[in-house]
Amino acid sequence: MSRQQRVELDPDTVERDLARLVLTVIELLRQLMERQALRRVEVGDLSEEQEERLGLTLMLLEDRMALLRRRFGLTAEDLNLDLGPLGTLL
Amino acid sequence: MTEDRPLDGDTLFYVYTVIEASATDALPDMPPPLGGGGLRLVSAGRHAAVVEAVDALHFEEEPLRGHLEDLEWLSAVARAHHGVVAAVGGATTTVPMRLATVCRGEEGVRRLLAGADERIAEALVRLAGAQEWGVKLYAGQPPEPPGGGTVGGGPAAGAGGGRDYLRRRLKDRDVREASRTRAARTARDLHRELSRHAAAAVLHPPQDRRLSRAEGLHVLNAAYLVPAAGREAFLDAVPPPDALDAGLRLEVTGPWVPYSFTAGADEEAGAAL
Repeated sequence: MSRQQRVELDPDTVERDLARLVLTVIELLRQLMERQALRRVEVGDLSEEQEERLGLTLMLLEDRMALLRRRFGLTAEDLNLDLGPLGTLL
Repeated sequence: MTEDRPLDGDTLFYVYTVIEASATDALPDMPPPLGGGGLRLVSAGRHAAVVEAVDALHFEEEPLRGHLEDLEWLSAVARAHHGVVAAVGGATTTVPMRLATVCRGEEGVRRLLAGADERIAEALVRLAGAQEWGVKLYAGQPPEPPGGGTVGGGPAAGAGGGRDYLRRRLKDRDVREASRTRAARTARDLHRELSRHAAAAVLHPPQDRRLSRAEGLHVLNAAYLVPAAGREAFLDAVPPPDALDAGLRLEVTGPWVPYSFTAGADEEAGAAL
């Protein structure tokens, strides 16, 4: 039942599982960065130029993440670790 | 545990539920639910516990602790537990014990009963003629198109693309937050309304998604103790699906034996072993 919730290191799937683990961490960082960026945009303490650069960077990151997920056959949901009583990671 | 002397003072008893000692007719006639010695009653004073002698290999403190981490094992025990409680509850008022309550020897069961005597008596009065209804409210997964923001142009979308992207994400976030707030408000109002039609209510923490296997965010997980006479009024207070905001899903289950309203009647369970 909980099979897909775990990161299992099976020889056949080791590459995908490892990718999933790494991408999960990156996705967490990406979302934290995005949240922080949105907060700063809201507060308005960024110049237009800074906003543009930040936006492009985040856009690029998201795009690359989607690419990597596709390459390893992972969905966005796969990167959302279940932390039990704490809820999900992302 | 040896088969020759199955019921000595060291026998472990799984305690399902407690009834009034006079209600001996309520003991269900069924095959051993946990594959142990079958159901029997152990009484102390005015109360009696429905118990089963179980295998120490699984139910001794140490292996039991290990099993409690095992969802598959737990759900098998939960099914057995619920089967017995439901059967007993169909015949008389009963106070279910917590899942996996185990006592050592009949003496241990009697100690459990004696220690919780007052609380069990109170619970029996409170639960008489009432049933439990479960109400769950789920909010559909907030619309967060993964990578959806970048459809089309991609990162090379040209000047202004970065700022547009941020604005878009900002809007997405606000929409998500607004829908979360709305869901929380609906949950609160619903709980308040249903509580008015119930003798008691408890809020449970959101369920483990692996157990509920339900999509979406769990925004309300409540149980209501409803007197049999108030059943219609309670169910009428449950809004029809089309009265809810889009994306919200309501699930009502019951009637159950009132598991959620034993209010510490089995508090002694841990100490009784």
